[in-house]
Amino acid sequence: MTLPADIDALVRLFVVANVVLLVVLVLIYIERKVLAHIQQRLGPMRTGFHGILQTPADAIKLLIKEDLTPQSADRWVFQLAPFLVFVPIFMMFVTIPFTGELVVRNLDLGIFYLVAFSSLHVVGLLMAGWGSDNKYALLGGVRAAAQLISFELPLAFAILGVVVWSGSLNLKEIVELQTGIPFLLLQPLGVLIFLVASLAELSRTPFDIPTAESEVIGGPLVEYSGMRWSIFMLAEYASLFATAAIAAAIYLGGWEWPFAPRAGELDGWAARLAGVTWFVIKTLGLIILVFWLRGTLPRLRIDQLMGFAWKMLIPFSFINLIITAAAVVYGGVILLAGWLATGGFAYAVYIRSRR
Amino acid sequence: MTTERALRTVDMHINVGPQHPATHGVFRMVLEVDGERVAGCTPYIGYLHRGFEKLAENEEWQEVIIHLDRTDYISQFNNELCYAMGMERLLGVEPPERAEYARVILAELNRIVSHMMFYGAFGADVGALTPFLYAFRERERLQRLFEAVSGARLMHFYFRAGGLKEDLPEGFADELRRMLPAVQHGIDECDRLLTQNEVFLSRTVGVGKLAASEAIAYGCSGPVLRASGVREDVRRSDPYSLYPTLDFDVPVGKNGDCFDRYWVRLAEMRESVRIVQQCLDRLPEGPIRTPVPRYPHFRVEPGEIYVHTENPRGDYGLYLVSKGGVQPYRVKLRSPCFCNLMALGPMLRDSYLADAVVILGSLDIVLGEVDR
Amino acid sequence: MLGVLKGLVTTWKTHWRAPVTVQYPDERLPLQPRYMGFPGLMWDAEHDEPFCTGCQVCMRYCPTGCMFVEMKDNPKFATGESKRRKIVADFTINLSRCISCSICVEVCNFEAIEMTHHHERAGYYPDQVAGLPTLFQMSADHRAGVGQKPGHETRNLL
Repeated sequence: MTLPADIDALVRLFVVANVVLLVVLVLIYIERKVLAHIQQRLGPMRTGFHGILQTPADAIKLLIKEDLTPQSADRWVFQLAPFLVFVPIFMMFVTIPFTGELVVRNLDLGIFYLVAFSSLHVVGLLMAGWGSDNKYALLGGVRAAAQLISFELPLAFAILGVVVWSGSLNLKEIVELQTGIPFLLLQPLGVLIFLVASLAELSRTPFDIPTAESEVIGGPLVEYSGMRWSIFMLAEYASLFATAAIAAAIYLGGWEWPFAPRAGELDGWAARLAGVTWFVIKTLGLIILVFWLRGTLPRLRIDQLMGFAWKMLIPFSFINLIITAAAVVYGGVILLAGWLATGGFAYAVYIRSRR
Repeated sequence: MTTERALRTVDMHINVGPQHPATHGVFRMVLEVDGERVAGCTPYIGYLHRGFEKLAENEEWQEVIIHLDRTDYISQFNNELCYAMGMERLLGVEPPERAEYARVILAELNRIVSHMMFYGAFGADVGALTPFLYAFRERERLQRLFEAVSGARLMHFYFRAGGLKEDLPEGFADELRRMLPAVQHGIDECDRLLTQNEVFLSRTVGVGKLAASEAIAYGCSGPVLRASGVREDVRRSDPYSLYPTLDFDVPVGKNGDCFDRYWVRLAEMRESVRIVQQCLDRLPEGPIRTPVPRYPHFRVEPGEIYVHTENPRGDYGLYLVSKGGVQPYRVKLRSPCFCNLMALGPMLRDSYLADAVVILGSLDIVLGEVDR
Repeated sequence: MLGVLKGLVTTWKTHWRAPVTVQYPDERLPLQPRYMGFPGLMWDAEHDEPFCTGCQVCMRYCPTGCMFVEMKDNPKFATGESKRRKIVADFTINLSRCISCSICVEVCNFEAIEMTHHHERAGYYPDQVAGLPTLFQMSADHRAGVGQKPGHETRNLL
């Protein structure tokens, strides 16, 4: 049975929206548990088996809390901000492919679309920072704007390497090119830059400068409470999930690698299930890596962060792009230079920290 | 509209403290920031002022110790040691040898506990979540030992004029000997987690530099002074208790930046483990108290004395004046934290807002002692 | 990058260790025998009366002034059942002000007061002022818990 295209898209959107909400709840639980065990704590233990219901309980608590707006806040800006953060991030899910078919719309300009939407929420954060009429929030909002815009460039350039190599902007096609070798091995420098830049895009440790607890006490979120605050949280974890899913698709071979179901071996739902399982494992692995980093690393300073973006990531992403372009023209062996460049990148990070 | 008018900017005043998560207690500073740059800082202290010095004048000599616990409430044994030594010198009594050893062991363990507190808080200041929990895991071991010794985890009230309140509990030496490798391992683990981390290094190296001359001029002491390259330690320069007989190094930094202050403290923890090890090997049996009169008869001859010890935070000095009788006439505390805090101004020059938090953390102030 | 990797290995290793925290109200870390909670009054089982004579020395030495003590003539002294001329008539400790410093224990001349392990005062009702029955009960519970006899070595030191 095939539904009319519009209805079909709506159904898919509805399913994806609910899946995202569920995934966010699970991610918050995983983060709390991972951090707790890294710190030799137990984490949530009371609500349900090993605290599994803790996040739903927290979500309900947040929903029924009073929705406070500070008296001196710029009311409309303040109240609109959470949605302007959440909507662009949610829009990213439109074209994230969980398998070849499980996708709302497989856009031909998928990557262009994702890159375009991935930094739109900076507007919402800036509005939150300005509208709160709070100095910490303002500082945090301005920090967020600076950081997100700067890291947009290396992120886009890192992805551009993949696009140049695969010759497509369609996520499905990119994934299907990775049945043999995932782009992780072909684009090592690109992966590294993508991971670092997306950590910064997500404002997660070591780049959680906009919301730095010990400096600006939550930054743009400082005046929010209840539901609006939970929408920020939702957006944060949803974007984490989206970014990890993109990384899994364009670098780790999505549902195709390492065991792509050959035609005839598996078909129908079994193939889809296998694909989704692979995809989820890869995505979750990346997300846990982010949590692990959060449990280990301190935070950079804003000027160091900007310096890192403009003096390190952007030049190196250019190098990556040039290597990839050369490889396209003169043969794939040149991609090995990417590994050398990765070593150079690591060494440069080391040197910078010793100055 | 002229360009000048369009670009008119004002400095923003940011209130950091007393409820800010990064101010270590109730210290408040109003930072004048130009964007992310700190243009000026106005510190406010006194939120935890309890009038310790005045209170001490209304308590009996030995009872004052409970207030000493509450000045620098992270290194209580060291404070008690200082005051007990002062009373002993005024009384002219010597504590028995076992008491001396027990005091040094406990004071050095307390140094580890205190520096662990610094490590955790400093980690939180630079934005890492885990160091705090690691530090408290290590602290907990020793806190439980303190609880077994004195009956309290923080406010011990254990050192007295002439010795200790009561003997060390049974099996203390064995327990501690068993525990020391774990403590050492904990310190190493904390070291591995942060010290070589590039992010941590870029946040601390070269931040909040304090030249040796400036540190001396501001009266800094302890790790803050030693990080600037001055080899000054009361345990060496004006030895007291058993320290002349013990073998330990005084770690010294080079640049006087936040990293050196962190590194010096980490190295000091290792030295403290060494000191405890030596004391444990030599811990004698015997009495723990030289008899002094009990409370209605506890009198101190008129006189005055200045006694100072090397606390985890620096040179902790007490000036005790007796006019005879059961109460001290005057107890003056020379607080190392207060003097170290004075150096905040020059350190904050040309720093960023995020640095201000780290610099304050690297001073390792305890407001109970700054405000008294 | 090496330092970052080192840190990651450290956290990875600790991740697999057993947690050091416990679920507090269900599970409690054992207190050390010398632990000082709030003071309680001991009961002289031999004479079936408190050791405390209500001499108020603890009240005078208490640094926070959280105690109130009253003395009365001991009725058992007149009948010859007891050697105590005076006995405690009323004894209250405001536990919310008590700082568990053990000064009251150390100044007591009759070994009548002791530091119990009782230290948790959170509850639904503000019953922070402990009267005579509570103080006796605290001490009795403490003794039952740690198996201690009257005459602790920490007495009379200050």
